[in-house]
Amino acid sequence: MSRTPEELGQKIKKARERQDRRLFAGSKPTVGSKKTPSGMGNALRAGTDIVSAVSVGGFLGYWIDQWLGTKPFGMIIFFFLGSAAGLLSIYRSQTGQDYKIGFTKTSNEKTKTKGKE
Amino acid sequence: MESPLEQFVIKPIIPIHIGGVDISFSQSALWMGIAVVVATTLMTLGMRHRTIVPGRWQNIPEMLYEFIFGMVNENLGPEGKKYFPFVFSVFMTVLMGNLLGLIPYSFTFTSHIIVTGALALMVLLVVTGIGIACHGLHFFSLFLPKGLPLALAPLIITIEVVSYLSRPISLSVRLFANMVAGHTMLKVFASFSVMTGVMLGVFPMVVNTALYGLELMIAVIQAYVFTILTCLYLKEAIELH
Repeated sequence: MSRTPEELGQKIKKARERQDRRLFAGSKPTVGSKKTPSGMGNALRAGTDIVSAVSVGGFLGYWIDQWLGTKPFGMIIFFFLGSAAGLLSIYRSQTGQDYKIGFTKTSNEKTKTKGKE
Repeated sequence: MESPLEQFVIKPIIPIHIGGVDISFSQSALWMGIAVVVATTLMTLGMRHRTIVPGRWQNIPEMLYEFIFGMVNENLGPEGKKYFPFVFSVFMTVLMGNLLGLIPYSFTFTSHIIVTGALALMVLLVVTGIGIACHGLHFFSLFLPKGLPLALAPLIITIEVVSYLSRPISLSVRLFANMVAGHTMLKVFASFSVMTGVMLGVFPMVVNTALYGLELMIAVIQAYVFTILTCLYLKEAIELH
């Protein structure tokens, strides 16, 4: 067992790389994978999402009305914008675009191809 | 009999009033302190021996660590490692708040919207800060989807901003509502037991036992949901389309 330090260094480097590959690239941890979300958590998420978006829209409209004196148009417009935002975020979360703003699916695909490399 | 909502009343333990502001040390603050102590003790004492084959106590920190590490790794990639401490702290705070609250006679600090709201607001500020630090003012192109006709821009940008601002609200309301609903339900069924006496009171108790199991599950799921959404928001701020 006469190993030179260089050989040992090589061996350690290889082991590190192997570990990195196992830990990082395309690893599929069984827990915390969003491909299999619990149905209940998903449903609860959708419910609070729409409520919060509508209330943020309504509140924003109210605040703009107070600020610019445009009562009641700000609240009416922003109520509908808030509803749109709520429906949009539900649509996104249910079609697996994980809350990403904009309609790009690129981030998921990017990580997928990264894993294959 | 007490109302089922009685358990959420904040009671000061050490009253402190400075300049007309009530900053009393309440039981909520006490349980936050206990959560910090329990989390720290669990992590440090569990990893005290550092054996290769983990024992029972070492298993707990390792499991928690690997769970969150896997989550950060999957969502943020290798370069997301530097955000791990933040994500892990958020997870442990929420998890400890939820689980310690299930001990009888304890207090669930995550059942107050001021606590969950502050947490969610902190997440929003940190994520926005990281996004601006990574991309500068280019970060705000987040609100403008690629390939959008310019005529639609004002409408879409407003919707996206509302959607962005609604995140901390939905994040905080989800956690707070789940905790309040669960604890109220437990209290209601427990009071059925008390009202119906020893013979019939067994049945609500059976239901309550099952509900307690459900509550344990919800406590963990909600901590998980809070953390994974933090991860997803971070991912979005870092990657930016």
